[in-house]
Amino acid sequence: MAFLTVQDLTKKYKNKTAVNNVSFEFKSGQCIALIGPNGAGKTTILRTLAGLLKPTTGSIEFANEKGNSDIRKFIGYLPQYPVFHYWMTGREFLVYSGELALLPKSEAKKRAESLLEKIGISKEARDERISRYSGGMKQRLGIAQAIIHKPKLLILDEPVSSLDPIGRREVLQLMEELKQEMSILFSTHILTDADEISDELLLLRQGEIVESGSMEELRIKYQTAKIEIEFERDIEAFAKKINDLPEVTASNIERNTLHVTASDIQLARQRILEAASNENWPLTSFNINRASLEDMFMKVVKD
Amino acid sequence: MTLFKKELLENWRNKKWIWVPLVIILLSIMDPITSYYLPQIIDSVGGLPEGSTLEMPEFAPPEVIMMSLSQLSSLGVLVLVLMSMGTIAGERKSGVTELILVKPVAYRNYITAKWVSLLMLVWISLFLGLLTSWYYINLLFGDLSFVELLQITFFYGLWLTLVVSLSIFYNALIKTPGLVAFLTILTIMVMSLINQVFNHVLEWFPNNLSSYILDMLMTDQLSTDLIATACVTMILSIALVVASIYTFRVKD
Repeated sequence: MAFLTVQDLTKKYKNKTAVNNVSFEFKSGQCIALIGPNGAGKTTILRTLAGLLKPTTGSIEFANEKGNSDIRKFIGYLPQYPVFHYWMTGREFLVYSGELALLPKSEAKKRAESLLEKIGISKEARDERISRYSGGMKQRLGIAQAIIHKPKLLILDEPVSSLDPIGRREVLQLMEELKQEMSILFSTHILTDADEISDELLLLRQGEIVESGSMEELRIKYQTAKIEIEFERDIEAFAKKINDLPEVTASNIERNTLHVTASDIQLARQRILEAASNENWPLTSFNINRASLEDMFMKVVKD
Repeated sequence: MTLFKKELLENWRNKKWIWVPLVIILLSIMDPITSYYLPQIIDSVGGLPEGSTLEMPEFAPPEVIMMSLSQLSSLGVLVLVLMSMGTIAGERKSGVTELILVKPVAYRNYITAKWVSLLMLVWISLFLGLLTSWYYINLLFGDLSFVELLQITFFYGLWLTLVVSLSIFYNALIKTPGLVAFLTILTIMVMSLINQVFNHVLEWFPNNLSSYILDMLMTDQLSTDLIATACVTMILSIALVVASIYTFRVKD
């Protein structure tokens, strides 16, 4: 059962279409990553879902909600570059956010305290002005303010892109924990991050979804696997034999390694290994090299 | 309410609650005091040439308080405009509104919290300023009753309310604080121009508030013109705030 349905979402600016006919569904508890190069429309989609932009056409619907109710209470949003009231302390800002999200004051205070604990802001830092916080602390505070009212959907715009490796790790871990409690939609251009925590990927190019599915599905679909074989000797002779197999589409020799591409990788593997064992080929290594994420990304997004 | 409390806290932390009243007080008492001490000032810088006599006009208390108001109308308004130019525009420009407006916050509350908190600051500053001026006037020039002070504060406060509302309106419309200030001041200038050109038709134009206040002090009674002008000013202010809420909502 989809709890959020985005239907034919289009956002046009004066003469530019930032998002074009984007549709997708969100199941409860899912974590979806929006991937695409800069300018693909990721931020526009997220801002539209968060209610900061009005779609030119198309609809965003939450299950069990009437059309005009304020969906903002179900949503937590962290922009790419969060800006706080720097004259407030971390604690004050969280309480303030909580009250804006209609929590009663005592409840907001309790939530703020437990979240400060959770995101690991030290006791002393909690009462310091936000202007003194480090980048990682600000990002974690940003996530805390986004989840203060326990939203159903957490929207994060490039949550880890601007952080150093340590900060990145902390935020990813936090997201991993939050996945248990809410659905998460986040954008990134770092594929490994998407791979690490998302259940589903949406690949965007120039405002359109060009591919979607789980990591595994996409891997299988875009698998342009290569077989890499190394021989002790006589590599040319074996290359010729392999090239004659019907499944093999191409082969070439680079140094001591034979690179083989095939129309059906499973079958090719079987044939080669059969031949190798029957004819006692002097193999030193046999390796199936899966297409990396980057390859897939380039393939989908570039053309 | 949360937004309103935040505004008060912010204006306290960034010291607006200190410097705005001080500036207004300073502007209010500058003219009364310098006019009173003018002879001494002239003496101390060398005096007048022998033989020439300076006829110092005798100022009536109402005239002196009008000097305060005229200072406030020029420099005071400028200060208020500069102080309020970034209240929304600045927040939008920096991006902090992204965090605020994704919360279930009514745009109405966001705008009115800003408006009311600014008005509070302005009215209290104005009262303090005129109170100080009133004190010196009573000391140096002659009687001006406390009731009159309250009346002046009330009617003149309406004019400043209009200025603040105008600033809020441009704040909701435009993201650049400098441009907000420029447009606000431009509008005030255009209004005063219109007032001068069409004075005979627009009897209740807000810019006339000051002159009606002077009339009130001279004749000692509330004229219908004054009350009508006050009403027009109030209605305009409220209309501006409503318009602000509306433009803020339809923006993107």
